[in-house]
Amino acid sequence: MLKASLSSKVDPRDAKLSMAHFYVAFTALLVGGLAGLLQVLVRSGKFQLPFGIGYYQVLTVHGVLLGLVLTTFFILGFHLAAVSKTSGTLTNKQRTVGWIGFWIALVGTVMAAVMVLLNQASVLFTFYAPLKAHALFYLGLTLVVVGSWFNSAVIIMKYAEWRRANPGQPSPLLTFMALINTLMWCVATIGVASTVLIQLLPWSLGIVDTVNVGISRTLFWYFGHPLVYFWLLPAYMAWYVVVPKVIGTKVFSDSLARMSFILFLLFSIPVGFHHQLLEPGIDPAWKFLQVILTFLVVIPSLMTAFSLFATFESFGRSKGATGLFGWLKKLPWGDARFTVPFIGMVAFIPGGAGGMVNASHQMNQVVHNTIWVTGHFHLTVATAVVLTYFGVTFWLVPHLTGRTLTKKMNKLALTQGILWAVGMTFMSGAMHAAGLLGAPRRSSFSEYGGAAQAAEWIPYQIAQAVGGSILFIAVLLMVYIFINLAFFAPKGEQEFPVGEATNQAEKAPMVFENWKLWLGITVLLILFAYTIPFIDLIQNAPPGAKGGRFW
Amino acid sequence: MAKAEMKYDTQPENEEHSSLKGTLASVFILGAILVVTWVGVYFLYLDRF
Repeated sequence: MLKASLSSKVDPRDAKLSMAHFYVAFTALLVGGLAGLLQVLVRSGKFQLPFGIGYYQVLTVHGVLLGLVLTTFFILGFHLAAVSKTSGTLTNKQRTVGWIGFWIALVGTVMAAVMVLLNQASVLFTFYAPLKAHALFYLGLTLVVVGSWFNSAVIIMKYAEWRRANPGQPSPLLTFMALINTLMWCVATIGVASTVLIQLLPWSLGIVDTVNVGISRTLFWYFGHPLVYFWLLPAYMAWYVVVPKVIGTKVFSDSLARMSFILFLLFSIPVGFHHQLLEPGIDPAWKFLQVILTFLVVIPSLMTAFSLFATFESFGRSKGATGLFGWLKKLPWGDARFTVPFIGMVAFIPGGAGGMVNASHQMNQVVHNTIWVTGHFHLTVATAVVLTYFGVTFWLVPHLTGRTLTKKMNKLALTQGILWAVGMTFMSGAMHAAGLLGAPRRSSFSEYGGAAQAAEWIPYQIAQAVGGSILFIAVLLMVYIFINLAFFAPKGEQEFPVGEATNQAEKAPMVFENWKLWLGITVLLILFAYTIPFIDLIQNAPPGAKGGRFW
Repeated sequence: MAKAEMKYDTQPENEEHSSLKGTLASVFILGAILVVTWVGVYFLYLDRF
């Protein structure tokens, strides 16, 4: 059964549902990318926004569209396609639930986007209280989350159906991975749903006068850190399972991949305090505990790095590579489906290194609220993750639309990846450097009254504008490639590459599919890490903040 | 076919064929990048605070 489903195409009805998500994702890329360009130009000090458009309005557009809309819609579309491909076509009921979820999320996105564009919600993508947005913005975000839950239900239903049909068998690897990401998302979104529905929405509607900022930020980051892993795990799905097939080798270890995903489920959530290390109201001992849990996430990341190096080396050596690094030369550098995600993998090395600095409790003081942090997540999510999404787009979109990636498009895709790498090296490199010199993030251009320290930052801001402009060209190229693959590329069969494990005879341990165990440990870790700090935050709460509009 | 594979597996040049020494070197380089970055910012921290 597994073999039969692997050799088949994604059913056109499921393909349509996936593609609907991708249209939204790439529209967000275009508009969000334009907002990014405007930001770096303003921060260079040489350009001012016309028509009274505010810097923070543009910053919110950029963060919400790229950080929340592009990622969420791409991931939901990719999950659906991966599960349909590896566990079989969705039933009509499952597909209907998927479409309901899509429309709810789309309506929510439009509501939130309209409020941001009308300057009624310039609260940045973290929407921290006491910044108060229009109630429709919060309602819109709620609908996006509710819509994503419908999609999560589809993944869970399909997985359950597969397990019932194949008793005693480990689920297909891509389905297993999509399920872990879905479960993590469901547990994490409880936090953001709570702060929005219990705190922010009633406060924005005027039902309550004040808001407890500490609690809302804690609930946000309970969600916010697993959110970054929600972005990352689909990229890992491609790195572990798709890339080996693209280069023509096997998955290094099926069990290792499953183990690393389980560890991400356990350790991605009880770690939100590492975003709040400099906040009052949380005892340092609890912050330190979450710092330790954060560093445990390094383990599956390093397992992934090892596994990928081993995949590439085994492949190169099977092609006759010699010497310590001769295998690098054997990799198919002319294939954008490999090279563009590979650039992402390389970017994840300095991205991960920077992340360890950010999470190192006291050392966080060096970089906190500086543009170093912005540079960090532009390496992780905005390079490692999105270049992998683009690498997936190059084969998945033509697979779903019954078209092919032509040689010409492949070449353009390679150019796109290289431009992105060059632009990001300038932009993120300059952000890291300026951050170490103290340049703040989330702030428009200012000479700070002629302060000497602020003058040091300006050359780096110009470098950011250069990098950002190159990145915008790469965004335009990517949108062009997407439109080509969706509507204009020649009709044909494009492979959906799914790697097989090196050792087929060795079945993955069934304990990996024991969700009572893994969700049980996840919940215990969360209760352990958060219960007492929450009691503290509630019992010792300062007077609530009235908040308001500061833009 | 299994037999042929077995035979291939025991040939001396297979040392080179299945070696993961490049992977070992790569993970050490990766580890070094992590350590150097961390220590660099650590000294900046000691200097400033």
